Amino acid sequence: MGSLFLPGDSWLHRLPGGLKLGLLAMLGGALMWVHDWRLLMLALAVVSTLLWQTGLSVAMLWSRVRGLFWLLLALMLYTLVVQSAEHAIALGLRVTTLLLAALVVSVSTSISQLMTVVLWLLQPLERLGWVDTQRVALAFGLTLRLIPELSLQWHDIREAQAARGLSANPLTMAVPMLLRTIRRAQEIAEAIDARG
Amino acid sequence: MSVKTKDIALVALFTAMVVVLGLIPPMPVPWVPVPITLQTFGVMLAGLILGPYRAGLVVALYVLIALVGLPVLPGGRAGLAVLAGPTGGFLLGMIPGAIVVGLAAGASTLRCLVAALLGGVAVVYALGIPWLMVVTGMTFSKAALAVVVFLPGDTIKAVIASIVAQRIRRLNLV
Amino acid sequence: MLIEFKNVSVERDGRSVLRRVHLSLTQRRIGVLGPNGSGKSTFIRLLNGLLLPQEGQVLVQGLDTRKEVSRIRSKIGFVFQNPDNQIVFPVVSEDIDFGLKRREPNPKVRADLARQALEQVGVPHLAERLVHTLSGGERQLVALAAVLAVQPEILVFDEPTTQLDLSLRNRFEQLLQGLPQPAIVVSHDLELLRGMERVLVLRDGLVVLDAPPNDAIAWYVEHCA
Repeated sequence: MGSLFLPGDSWLHRLPGGLKLGLLAMLGGALMWVHDWRLLMLALAVVSTLLWQTGLSVAMLWSRVRGLFWLLLALMLYTLVVQSAEHAIALGLRVTTLLLAALVVSVSTSISQLMTVVLWLLQPLERLGWVDTQRVALAFGLTLRLIPELSLQWHDIREAQAARGLSANPLTMAVPMLLRTIRRAQEIAEAIDARG
Repeated sequence: MSVKTKDIALVALFTAMVVVLGLIPPMPVPWVPVPITLQTFGVMLAGLILGPYRAGLVVALYVLIALVGLPVLPGGRAGLAVLAGPTGGFLLGMIPGAIVVGLAAGASTLRCLVAALLGGVAVVYALGIPWLMVVTGMTFSKAALAVVVFLPGDTIKAVIASIVAQRIRRLNLV
Repeated sequence: MLIEFKNVSVERDGRSVLRRVHLSLTQRRIGVLGPNGSGKSTFIRLLNGLLLPQEGQVLVQGLDTRKEVSRIRSKIGFVFQNPDNQIVFPVVSEDIDFGLKRREPNPKVRADLARQALEQVGVPHLAERLVHTLSGGERQLVALAAVLAVQPEILVFDEPTTQLDLSLRNRFEQLLQGLPQPAIVVSHDLELLRGMERVLVLRDGLVVLDAPPNDAIAWYVEHCA
């Protein structure tokens, strides 16, 4: 499972993560109020240039936005039918600009940099005593560690049930999967506690 | 409320579960207009089994992992792009959604079903539709119409989630 | 090392799982043997306070597991049977680093300690690997490295060779011989237990025999096989 991040040395890569996220948020807010397709085209052009500057090739871009593309197309068609062509085009431009702008940040900022920003944002909560950043980092790492394992478990249970002649049925699979998951949590917690 | 190590482990496991369920390709289901993804199914289960606080943490962690750039959302999507896009509200809406599921859940399957529908559907749509409207510029009726097609699938998920969760809740393991 | 069990009994769900355990552990290599359900897992979990006795006390170098659990846990390195539950981060080096964070604030020093531990178990090349791509045996060794990295004073192993193939099992046996710390090993692996100084045999929650390995194994084979 690869991430969106593309290692590189562009000026965008060197900007601090927090700054990029802040600018993205401002852009998102601003674009909500823009409906003129010409302004939107300009915004799109600027963002596309930035994206090109990160070193992303067209193929790499496509692999990152593929899922979103079809969704956007469906939305545009829907808007075309129920509203108008102008609305559909404005929608397409606005959403694409936002998507690409977000991608600029994701591509030029590594996971650990983004995590640092997140943990920094959580600091006031930590001072209030609501959040323990060490535990957030632990929960994060633990989740990533477990994703491939749970995926395997899902396949194991599916295989075992298929061998008994049962087709993939969420009702019969969910209960054993959940029981195993809960038991595993107890064992993992024990191992973490033992580390002291 | 003290968070014990066991809670961290449960939250991480359930978050991983939501990821795995969400990455299973959309399944066509008879009588349902669109293929369904299991992402909300996972969120409903988390809410019904772990209770409001831990389920809220599960979905918050899920959103965090997606935001940081890992392709854990259905279709292998990720990142701020989704949040910036039309479905961002549905994603963020799952956080209060999971909490509501946890708060409304009870011992009977029916109570769990109501909880799953309230949190997993009503709350999520309540946040998702306005977001959709703002990002795309649609009116309420158009936006609502666009998502009503997902309701039958979501209802089925709520039914199955409540049946499964009730069996697990009965065992009093968590 | 000195670990004392003073009239210890443990109950779970109203059932007695361990009774009248009263002994001192001082030897460098101690084995624990017994059929399933004999109380072995309970016994070792008393050592670092993962379980607390209903009656009696467990003292680790004078520290009571009821009162000083964190200090005890920083002295005891516990290696669980299933490495998948023990390794919590996706990349090997991250997991070892996590275990060291509380004891060592300097990241560079932690990285060195991690590397040394991986070398000690013979798998330095796995440092940047994703854990889920490793074989079961490799994971076992990585879990051991993570425990060794924090340089515990006492080691406890729960069924360390059950999941290992023959060559890895032999490698583990050699490693165990070379480790400087005293070790308590729960195992079904009779050959491994022959290398111990002392073996406790448990059955039905009681320590039925406390003897040198050959005697203990012979008794076990005769009465519990």
